[in-house]
Amino acid sequence: MRRLLDIIGLQAGYGASRVLNDLSLHIDEGESIGLFGPNGHGKSTLLKAISGLLRPTAGSIAFDGKDITTQRPPSIVAAGLIHAPQGNTLFGNMRIAETLELAAFSKRAKAEAGRHLEEVYALFPRLAERKQQFARTLSGGERQMLSIGCALMCAPRLLMLDEPTLGLSPRLKEELAAAIAKISKTGVPLIVVEQDVEFLLSLTDRLYMIEHGEVVREISSANAPDHEEVMRLYFGAEGAH
Amino acid sequence: MDALLATLVSGLVLGSLYALMSSGLSLVWTTLGVFNFSHGALMMVGAFVAWTVSEILGLGPVTGILSGTLAAGLIGIIIERLLVRPFYSNRNMLLITAMTTLAAMVILERGAQMIWGARLKQLPRLIPGEVQILGTTISAHEALLIVLAPLILVALWRFTVMTNRGRSLRAVGQNQDSAALLGIDVPVAFALAFGISAALAGLTGALLGSIRFITPTMGSEPLTKAMIVVIFGGLGNLGATAGAAYLIGFIEAFLIFGLGLYWTPFVLFLLMILVLLFRPNGVFGGK
Repeated sequence: MRRLLDIIGLQAGYGASRVLNDLSLHIDEGESIGLFGPNGHGKSTLLKAISGLLRPTAGSIAFDGKDITTQRPPSIVAAGLIHAPQGNTLFGNMRIAETLELAAFSKRAKAEAGRHLEEVYALFPRLAERKQQFARTLSGGERQMLSIGCALMCAPRLLMLDEPTLGLSPRLKEELAAAIAKISKTGVPLIVVEQDVEFLLSLTDRLYMIEHGEVVREISSANAPDHEEVMRLYFGAEGAH
Repeated sequence: MDALLATLVSGLVLGSLYALMSSGLSLVWTTLGVFNFSHGALMMVGAFVAWTVSEILGLGPVTGILSGTLAAGLIGIIIERLLVRPFYSNRNMLLITAMTTLAAMVILERGAQMIWGARLKQLPRLIPGEVQILGTTISAHEALLIVLAPLILVALWRFTVMTNRGRSLRAVGQNQDSAALLGIDVPVAFALAFGISAALAGLTGALLGSIRFITPTMGSEPLTKAMIVVIFGGLGNLGATAGAAYLIGFIEAFLIFGLGLYWTPFVLFLLMILVLLFRPNGVFGGK
């Protein structure tokens, strides 16, 4: 099967401290994956390395058959590999409408900006109601919607969402989860980082558990572990209760 | 009454000059977070190049002004590349670039002295003759400055608000990582901001070259005034900067009229200190 994303032996970090140790994972054409695991073990760092914000020190990343390990964000975005980072505050002094228009920055995205803008407003009616509002005045949930909206404006061929429901109320969380499921149904492959394993299982085909900068377990959603086992994965053999 | 109107018109001319200078400074500050001390020297380069192309090469003042604008813009991009870009990831970037752009100012001023010498030079006026505004007679060239400044400011404002290329400059200034993840090339945005800012300085210098004398240090006084303007208006907002530019222009004109040339800088700096003490975000600055 053709691989959309292929990561082999990736190492990356900040200065002297290495966060990713020999991490390998892949996405086949037509599937979505989820990443979970304890905080501070390299999930966000992995996404930063993929999107070019952080240069890996070893290993390789291939997207759609092309090596992108040392490419900078503009060309990675142009290729359609889009990253909505965790807690993305975007641009406080910019209005919602112009932020979304700006997000269709690459030539490929610009060509379809009109259609994508309609889709984003249909997906998140709240953004349509607040078009002229500055991003700094938005609530946490609305900011998350804007961040995902911007990612959609980039015309993603693979969309990476880093904890899209972090810190949101249960009701908002549900709303965003439904929107993300809708995006997935339109055929956009996803990499989703989340703590909520059940949510990931319902959304994606496979899950990778990441610990100490490595993949420690791979789970297929088809034979998913039950709640007890998930808890054991997180907290060790002793169990959570 | 006549004296009052004359002072107003003279304030308008000064305000136009300061608006052109300070909007460039403000653009670089909002995009890169750098204060460009070579901004005045870039203005001077624009004037000298305009003079050379117009008077020595004999190509006329319009070609001269365009060449001066372009030359300053190019030198601005070179300064960004060589003296600002190497320090982007440095924690002390603001301090280091204050020194490197000051160095650029010295290099440009000394270089101009070596190339063009110390003799005073002047460009012919773009439009000969005089016009009457509010019952005051000023040269048509100064009137052109009054008309041109708001047009250029509106064009700059439209660029940063209506076009994606212009918006990308604001985005990069507010959040580099988020901008990069939308596909915006951050170093390109920095170079573009520096280039536009320097070109604006060059244009100002070329226009000023037929009102004042062209000398290697002609940019230092406008740079000082532009600094007062951006502090007065609050850094980071084009509208506030433009408003402050005209305000300072009027205040200066009235101070010269009432107190004389000698005490005017003293009062202006006193005002600046008061603003910094009581409204550190500027007279029009919120937050």
